[in-house]
Amino acid sequence: MSGVSTRDLPVPALARTGLLSWIATTDHKRIGIMYMVTAFAFFFVAGIMAMLIRAQLAQPNQSIVTSHTYSQLFTLHGTAMIFFFVVPFAFGLANFLVPLQIGAPDMAFPRLNAFTYWIFLLGALTVMSGAATNGGAAASGWFAYVPLSGIKISSGLGQDFWILGILMASISSILTSINLITTVFIYRAPGMTMWRIPIFTWEMVATALLVLMAFPALTADLGMLLIDRRFGGHFFDPAAGGSAVLYQHLFWFFGHPEVYIMILPYFGVVTEIVSTFSRKPVFGYVGMVLAAFAIAGLSMGVWAHHMFTTGAVSDPFFSAVSFLIAVPTGIKFFNWIGTMWRGSISLTTPMLFAVGFLLNFLNGGITGVMVASPPIDFHAEDSYFLVSHFHYVIGGGSLFAIFAALFFWFPKIFGVKLNEYWGKVCFAFEFIGFNLTFFPMYFLGVMGMPRRVYTYPNLPGWGSLNALATLGAAIMAVGVIIFVVNVIVSAIRRAPVPDDPWGGFTLEWATTSPPPAHNFDRLPPIRSERPVFDLRQSDLGSQRKR
Amino acid sequence: MALQTEPHKMGMGPGFWPVTIGLTLLGIVSGILIGILPLDYLLPSSSLNVTDRGADIDFLFRFMSIIGNAIFVYVTGFVIYFAIAFRRRKHEPIESIGVQIHDLPALEFWWSIIPTVILCVLAIMSIRVWYLVQYGTGAPAFAVEVIGHQYNFEFRYPGLDRGIYNEMHLPLGRPVRVLVTSVDVLHSFWVPEFRLKADTVPGLVQNLNFTPQVAGTYLIECTEFCGVNHSFMQAKLIVEPQAKFNAWLDAQKKTAAVAAAPAASVAPSGSLALAGDAAAGKTSFKQKCSSCHKAEASDPEQDGPDLEHVFTNKAHPTLVNGQSVSPAHVAALIESGYKGSGPEAMPSAQQTGASAKDIANLTAYLASLK
Ligand code: HEC
Ligand SMILES: [Cu+2]
Repeated sequence: MSGVSTRDLPVPALARTGLLSWIATTDHKRIGIMYMVTAFAFFFVAGIMAMLIRAQLAQPNQSIVTSHTYSQLFTLHGTAMIFFFVVPFAFGLANFLVPLQIGAPDMAFPRLNAFTYWIFLLGALTVMSGAATNGGAAASGWFAYVPLSGIKISSGLGQDFWILGILMASISSILTSINLITTVFIYRAPGMTMWRIPIFTWEMVATALLVLMAFPALTADLGMLLIDRRFGGHFFDPAAGGSAVLYQHLFWFFGHPEVYIMILPYFGVVTEIVSTFSRKPVFGYVGMVLAAFAIAGLSMGVWAHHMFTTGAVSDPFFSAVSFLIAVPTGIKFFNWIGTMWRGSISLTTPMLFAVGFLLNFLNGGITGVMVASPPIDFHAEDSYFLVSHFHYVIGGGSLFAIFAALFFWFPKIFGVKLNEYWGKVCFAFEFIGFNLTFFPMYFLGVMGMPRRVYTYPNLPGWGSLNALATLGAAIMAVGVIIFVVNVIVSAIRRAPVPDDPWGGFTLEWATTSPPPAHNFDRLPPIRSERPVFDLRQSDLGSQRKR
Repeated sequence: MALQTEPHKMGMGPGFWPVTIGLTLLGIVSGILIGILPLDYLLPSSSLNVTDRGADIDFLFRFMSIIGNAIFVYVTGFVIYFAIAFRRRKHEPIESIGVQIHDLPALEFWWSIIPTVILCVLAIMSIRVWYLVQYGTGAPAFAVEVIGHQYNFEFRYPGLDRGIYNEMHLPLGRPVRVLVTSVDVLHSFWVPEFRLKADTVPGLVQNLNFTPQVAGTYLIECTEFCGVNHSFMQAKLIVEPQAKFNAWLDAQKKTAAVAAAPAASVAPSGSLALAGDAAAGKTSFKQKCSSCHKAEASDPEQDGPDLEHVFTNKAHPTLVNGQSVSPAHVAALIESGYKGSGPEAMPSAQQTGASAKDIANLTAYLASLK
């Protein structure tokens, strides 16, 4: 080695080339990129599955795919979107951003970090490879209810692959969470007190705590399912003293917090973006943080609202807590609006996607409050109303925030800015397409269309509403293609972009784009949750004085 | 002069009060429409009150829709209005910033308290209706059992020692208790027009109590995914005057007595085609199907279609019912039977006596023929 210390050489994450350098990396930024790229690949796979599902449902009484294929499609679509896209994308983004936002050189446990990525990838591939087994991939839905997922009915290896793959993915999530929490508590730069941590990082702390509480229930549940299937267990077999409802309790004990694991990180994304493009601090910063933890706490006590129709749970209790969880969520909403109020707003692509998030998530939140009401749930549960509700939350919410995040942090991550014009076109396609797909489903659900049907009878209105939904899905697909082309063309053109193209507020914008391996050459003073904003204002001030 | 606040950022913002009044009017008008429009198209039969609880549930649905709609109008309205009213004007310098407000504790207090109160009201209303749904119907005149099977609903009536498949009869105006369970996987018993649903869970019996109030035929659907033929798991619910109901039940009792002699009740069928055993399938085929079908080169010709190449014959890519050739579809066809334009009909599993297991085995057997 030469005598020059590497600390003096800003090496962008992408410049250290070679396949091996990626496989062996423990750099949180590269691991973050690998997470996000992998997650996006699964988004495409799951998206294609969604298109096949919409094609099959476009008209009544069709058989474009077989019923068994259809069951595998919706099982893998849900599994991939949840476990291999929305959650790992958040962890990828957090991997990249959290150390930067708190002024740290890396995550607390870099090698553990690499391990979590690889085990996540292995898990995801294991689930998908079920499709190559005799009898096909898992086909019992993403929550794999017993007895359907039991050995008697789902005798193929596909279901076992699914269980093993999800177990690996959950171990990955648990370990990543430990890593994130440790990083935030131990590795903050001098001056970065708890009440100066950026909201995105705060939301990731809340998410990681939720993962630590919720995922162990899932691993236990799936472990028991595996024992029942392959090693003669009877945990879920009522004939031998087991209980089919027990599976559901454990599943939703994980499954409901999981919903918030999928949304809290994106609350963080949207908060940062709305604040940046309104040129204002986050309105009610402390309230925002407390609301995140209130949501996390309450979300541990609502799981059985997924089970009202089993008749085996206390409806009034779980209903009341479910209603209450809307309070902190509402506070967040008001704070976002408060942040925009009297701002200096630029409707850039990230901001447009963030506004899209607000409107869609609001829609899903309102119908969420409706289904928290047991009598309404008795009608809406497991109908298309519910399908629409959670797609508004995860698709209209998380997915839109993911696009917002991509457009916002792309220059930071890759040193390339995506084309704004085509970004806005992409937003228009996604927003219109999304609402066209899912709004009609509310009606279909109340009209009586059950969830997860392979096909449906030609009842009045059903055909046309479904056709509309399929059309919307096609429009969304075009939007995604526009996005991909945008990425490719922008990457080829590589228009020069400054380190901080948006006028960011938080520490990641204080370093180069992309950041060097060690993240920062020099940190600005940290006196609030917006150190880069403070720095810029004081620079402006001294210019003015001169 | 960039430090001075732009005029449009003063006060609440340009046009704040007119916009607020406009949104309020919009919320009220659309709320009234949701409240008074006949929603039968959306909520099937909502104006008929087909059960004693229907009106309560629909009222709750409308009420929550009205509140939800108002919130949607306000929030969406303000997001869009702020995005326009406070957009950075062309003449503003790039480094211009908004008014640096960090928080307003009074505002935050009220926007935490008011939603809490609204949500508590909604929760209390919901629990009240829930209580009525659970306990509000008078003592039941009798109980019907609903048993979920892949992929049939079986209904059992008092005094009838045989299950009735996929057709449920209830007397008009009599409180009834429906006991719901399953013998295999989870299903869900849903009558959309009644707004009632109960999952059928093996090892668990739960009940629904209600009084049907309008005669007619209603759709019963399975709404918990239960396997490949989940979407075909539907049944009819016929609500009829007591006399007609009694006549129907008596007729069922008579046929039950006749049918009881030859064989025990036929196990309901349906199966996941992939789990079968081809060797066992061959035996059942000989017993149940060979009178109409030829399966192997050595078998005699029969009236029904040759099944030797049913999975592999490229010239016949679809089954007689037009569905693609797949184990699931063949299983479904064996299950349901089929009558095309030809003189002969393919009998249903109930007629051939094929159980779920048999169907799986038969499908495996047919798939094994090359
Ligand atoms: C009473 C005579 C009869 C019996 C018994 C019978 N079938 Fe059939 N089956 C038919 C007829 C007739 C058709 C064609 C119906 C049509 O085209 O309308 C048919 C059609 C079929 C088909 C579809 C063939 C194709 O090419 O699409 C299959 C598969 C089948 N039967 C399987 C079975 C099995 C398995 C059994 C035994 C459980 C069975 N059938 C018992 C008369 C019978
Ligand atoms: Cu079913």
